[in-house]
Amino acid sequence: MNTLVCIKRVPDTGARFALTSDGQDIDSRNLEFTISPHEECAVEEAIRIQEKQGGSTAVLTLGPEVASEQIRESLAKGIDRGVLLETDGSEWDPQATSQAIVNAVQSIQKTGTKYDLVLFGNESADSGDYQVGVRVAAALDWPCITGIKSIEFQNNQVVAKREAPGGWELFRLTLPAVVTVKEGINVPRHPSLRGIMTAKKKEIERIKPAKPELKLLKQNLRKPQEKSGEIQILGHGIEAVPAIVAKLKELGVI
Amino acid sequence: MGTLSDYRSVDYFNLDELLTEEQRQVRRTVRAFVTEKILPIIADCYEQQKFPEELIPEMAELGFFGANLQGYGAAGIDNIAYGLMMQELERGDSGLRSMASVQGGLVMYPIYAFGSEEQKQKYLPAMAKAKMIGCFGLTEPEHGSDPAGMETTAVKDGKNYVLNGNKTWITNANVADVAIIWAKTDDQIRGFLVEKGTKGFSTAKIDGKFSMRASHTGEIYLNDCRVPKDNMLPSVEGLKGPLSCLNQARYGISWGVIGAAMACYDEALKYCLERKQFDKPIASYQLVQEKLVDMLTEITKAQLLSYRLGQLKDADTLLHTQVSMAKRNNCRMALDVSRMARDLLGGNGITLDYQAIRHMTNLETVYTYEGTDHIHTLVMGADITGIQAFR
Ligand SMILES: Cc1cc2nc3c(=O)[nH]c(=O)nc-3n(C[C@H](O)[C@H](O)[C@H](O)COP(=O)(O)OP(=O)(O)OC[C@H]3O[C@@H](n4cnc5c(N)ncnc54)[C@H](O)[C@@H]3O)c2cc1C
Repeated sequence: MNTLVCIKRVPDTGARFALTSDGQDIDSRNLEFTISPHEECAVEEAIRIQEKQGGSTAVLTLGPEVASEQIRESLAKGIDRGVLLETDGSEWDPQATSQAIVNAVQSIQKTGTKYDLVLFGNESADSGDYQVGVRVAAALDWPCITGIKSIEFQNNQVVAKREAPGGWELFRLTLPAVVTVKEGINVPRHPSLRGIMTAKKKEIERIKPAKPELKLLKQNLRKPQEKSGEIQILGHGIEAVPAIVAKLKELGVI
Repeated sequence: MGTLSDYRSVDYFNLDELLTEEQRQVRRTVRAFVTEKILPIIADCYEQQKFPEELIPEMAELGFFGANLQGYGAAGIDNIAYGLMMQELERGDSGLRSMASVQGGLVMYPIYAFGSEEQKQKYLPAMAKAKMIGCFGLTEPEHGSDPAGMETTAVKDGKNYVLNGNKTWITNANVADVAIIWAKTDDQIRGFLVEKGTKGFSTAKIDGKFSMRASHTGEIYLNDCRVPKDNMLPSVEGLKGPLSCLNQARYGISWGVIGAAMACYDEALKYCLERKQFDKPIASYQLVQEKLVDMLTEITKAQLLSYRLGQLKDADTLLHTQVSMAKRNNCRMALDVSRMARDLLGGNGITLDYQAIRHMTNLETVYTYEGTDHIHTLVMGADITGIQAFR
């Protein structure tokens, strides 16, 4: 089983952040970056698949040179090989991103590594487009399933489970396939100190994809108002009802 | 996983910019381990006087033991990464950091530096994996700050040495599989590897501690304890042996205590922003702000000291007097910071629901062990004046 995991470098979700003065980016000073959480689970899943089934694992990201840090983190956890599709750091829209990934997969396939499974996170923690995995599958003409919380293999098929109200939806896909996974599918490991040192020596393949014309452009970013954390008591007992109705109207709920 | 939660270490002087990718990654791993596994249970461990034994295999798997040694199953990280590891462990608890200090700096290190190849092969991989736990027996009931006065003896008898004497205040004595015992042969101090179960070797636990409660401390009794002469560390004699181990561990402590201080500062800052008195957050009062600023400033100074110390250690030009300065300064700093945090938390500050009192009481030990504050003062005093003031 050869598995490729596509990951994205995103600001640590627990972190407080500020925007740059031009509103084009988040201020990265004093900020930790991480692998988008669903994708962290995808990396873990790939390692577990390899531990059970053998084969190879690779991780790929499209992003600036510093995103090699997230590749290296995956290598430290046990992924075999890393591919960086290096950009100038500007945000590529889902169409451009998936096209670059498809090109890379196809060119790697030509060198002899045939992927059976390409894993994505269900959506990235920053832009949250929910598109890249689906677009890659469509372009490769592979079956695709999203929002998966369990993966098993039977014969030449992936058996994937998705949580549904009160139960599970079960899907069978013929390999090769694309699966996007969700947090909860596993608990990702932390890279060991030995792994971190070994990863230093693993090579990361760098490809510079030509920047396509972007059709979806970022205008600017705005920070949502911080939650005040204050509790407002609208009233007690039956007398509170009008105040609650007024508040719900104010919030646009009713 | 938002593994870093909302904890941010102090970085007022942008020191993170100086860290390599590996160093930051090591910090991330250890920080996540502490946040997820240690913080939820440590107050209970402290209250019940127990070390979280069940986490030792995971600590070993993650490579925390002997992490800055090369080969023999050790991770081989650089000394700044090692310092950051100690810092993160001690953010959890000084007892946790002590475990790593003793296993790596005080037991694996002397075997690595002064052991025979057979000793290295036998002990180092097993200790890196925590299949064996070690302890370091230097201090005696009558000889703490002055280890050269030790009374434990090792007398040669054919192919064996016969050890007699008592050691006390030994971290992990009662759980260790192997002890390094420093003892006097005819005229020299030598190190011996003594395994649990050896006839004449016994231990007892020290109870009633109000500091380092989440760490084992014990006594060791040696009564005609016979060990093969191959158990002696061949390549070191004199006080240099134990002192070079202590230098390793003191280096780690200088970083470690910064972690405890940062935990206290972080907790105090959050508390002061939330706690209201006289209708305003207590953080809005000048007296409180002054304390918070002092804490932050002292932490930052300590960070700069330890960072530079790490560079010197990696360049192998580190002087033991420099280690003394960092150990002394940073332990004082951390103890002060923890006391200020305890103060700012008011009555809550004396409960185990908050971290300050636990760190504060732990730091009383850290201030004393590995050379008391006085002893490091005298080491530096002798260095700058040329006059020994020890006796
Ligand atoms: C929890 C814990 C864990 C420990 N773990 C270990 C371990 O694993 N292995 C090990 O070998 N030891 C260990 N120790 C022992 C520790 O290193 C000693 O406690 C320390 O060296 C001080 O020795 P002492 O307790 O005998 O105090 P003393 O040496 O009696 O000192 C008492 C006081 O006298 C002062 N003093 C002594 N001499 C002078 C002087 N010449 N000038 C001025 N002041 C002086 C000291 O600074 C101190 O204030 C541990 C201690 C504790 C508390």
